[in-house]
Amino acid sequence: MKFEIQLTGAGGKRKHVVEFERDVSAVSLDGRPVDADAIQIGPNVVSVMLGGQSFEFHISRSLDGTLKLRCGQHEFSADLTDPRAWRGRKHGAVEVEGRQEILAPMPGKVVRVLAAVGNAVEAGQGLLVVEAMKMQNEIRSPKSGKVERLLVKEGQNVNAGEVLAWVE
Amino acid sequence: MFKKILIANRGEIAVRILRACRELGIQTVSVYSDVDRTSLHVRLADEAYLIGPAASRESYLRIDKLMDVAKKSGCDALHPGYGFLAENAALPRACADAGITFIGPSAEAMEAMGSKTAGKQLARRAEVPTVPGTSDPIENPEEAQALAQAMGYPVLLKAIAGGGGKGMRVVPNDAAFASAWRDAASEALNAFGDQRVFLEKYLVGPRHIEIQILADAHGRCVSLGERECSVQRRHQKVVEEAPSPVVTPELRRKMGDAAVRLGRAGGYVNAGTVEFLVDADLNYYFLEVNTRLQVEHPVTEQVTGLDLVKLQIAIAAGHRLPFAWETITPRGHAMEVRLYAEDPDNNFFPSPGKIISRHAPTGPGIRLDEGVYEGWTVPMDYDPLLSKLIAWGNSREETIARLRRALDEYTILGIRTNVGLFRRILAEPEFLRGEIHTKWLDEVLSRPRPPAEPSRPGTEEAALIAAALWHNAQSNAPASGNTQQQAAPSRWKMEGRRQQMDHMP
Repeated sequence: MKFEIQLTGAGGKRKHVVEFERDVSAVSLDGRPVDADAIQIGPNVVSVMLGGQSFEFHISRSLDGTLKLRCGQHEFSADLTDPRAWRGRKHGAVEVEGRQEILAPMPGKVVRVLAAVGNAVEAGQGLLVVEAMKMQNEIRSPKSGKVERLLVKEGQNVNAGEVLAWVE
Repeated sequence: MFKKILIANRGEIAVRILRACRELGIQTVSVYSDVDRTSLHVRLADEAYLIGPAASRESYLRIDKLMDVAKKSGCDALHPGYGFLAENAALPRACADAGITFIGPSAEAMEAMGSKTAGKQLARRAEVPTVPGTSDPIENPEEAQALAQAMGYPVLLKAIAGGGGKGMRVVPNDAAFASAWRDAASEALNAFGDQRVFLEKYLVGPRHIEIQILADAHGRCVSLGERECSVQRRHQKVVEEAPSPVVTPELRRKMGDAAVRLGRAGGYVNAGTVEFLVDADLNYYFLEVNTRLQVEHPVTEQVTGLDLVKLQIAIAAGHRLPFAWETITPRGHAMEVRLYAEDPDNNFFPSPGKIISRHAPTGPGIRLDEGVYEGWTVPMDYDPLLSKLIAWGNSREETIARLRRALDEYTILGIRTNVGLFRRILAEPEFLRGEIHTKWLDEVLSRPRPPAEPSRPGTEEAALIAAALWHNAQSNAPASGNTQQQAAPSRWKMEGRRQQMDHMP
């Protein structure tokens, strides 16, 4: 397993290569072997032993596919390139191929619809604006394609995870 | 004692009251709105009834619906919690009409003490000091100056028609009085067409210190000591502690006596809080009365060993307070922080959403009063208070150390919280010395943020390994629904097995 990871933390942004054997033994970092042991404790918790130092990370994936890692009061974000992903090599996260369902990231109200069914959209182009507690959030298209369906109207209340649109 | 209590609230306080009822062997009835079906106060209740849509006005604030539920389910008492209808005199009246005991003061006492103006009048009658000043305008500048000299500088000149700081002047000393008067009056005239001004003593950096009182229906009223709530962000309490770092036993007795006098004068029964402003010379001035249980009641519970909710229920049931409590003194130190679903990097905007994962602190001297759980979606419709984290210890120092330790253990994923704000407050030298006042936190937040504590050597390397491992496990998970919900360890096994299969000839 070999991963290219761009890590962003308080110390800035840097690119690294992590490699490990299939059974997570023999970990190497930027080509040099490290004395490390990692194990998943829970669905979102990973424990890492690094030369006897114990670290625990709480990990979640944000909507753009970036991993958010928290260790005590420190936060990192990680962009991974997964060599196994044959297509859409940008992130190993969401495969931006095929039909994409656009989900509401939070409960709120659709205040504006920026695209119409049949419109061609670019990756990153705004599709709708959802307002939650006086904050407006633009929901962007994850891929270039065509708006196939719009399942919500302006003024409609939506729950977190509700499908808002399809982009084909 | 009551058989069944209706809890007319939601969130952490509903859970807090439920727990007290359960310990007393009293059945509980919760109410919920459409978006609260999965909330903890509904899950834990013996009975729960839907009372309407998300908007509070159509659910938690509907007295008629609450009374319907209370009658239908056979409740003999109702606890209002704090917020919502807790200080609305219409609720105790409706309860009285329905033959249900309201756990709180009478409607009359609520009205006599609850409003700022009525409370102030009552305080004057009970000889409780209020901020010196005139409530009527003064026409004559010489008369005003004489008054200012009598009450002592600095004083504040305020336009009668004022608002937004217009027509307001702080006068630091006698020499500045005449010109400040002219400025305030002309500014008031220009802004409001009314040049009349009144005079109030200006408190420099006042503290907010409040006294918890308990009064039974048999004429006994006691003080349970003070809480210091000076750390506020835009008039919202953020950190509360007991005892106050500046209150001496003598001051505690004096303030406690004043609060009890006020409670007696208002015919108050049940738990209440008398709020004071305290100046640098430890003069205290009445601010207002909260005729309900306070959010920060746990700090008093931790230093007195009493359960205020159970006492509220006992008082409502007609029980007497023990005589010995008239001389209760705090033991040790307790401090509470209010964890909110809000984003400190985005001007503290509420950040509702789903809690993906959560680890709660435990261990010595830690108490967590909360209404959240892993997998729950924090609704956008209500106050985003998640948890109250309370620490206590032998000294203020030990309490702060425990609170810091607990904040480091507390992890919540999926939503933003204000945990970082508390880390910052608990590291400020002024806070550690107890040198705080009601504007202190706003001042701290206007300063540049101190650089983050550097992470331990190796943290970045460990983060890289953790990211790779977690990502690898995620992408090998069965592609069904929400993979983050699945039990994880088996995926490693599965991956191992799958790859062994790959090697099979």
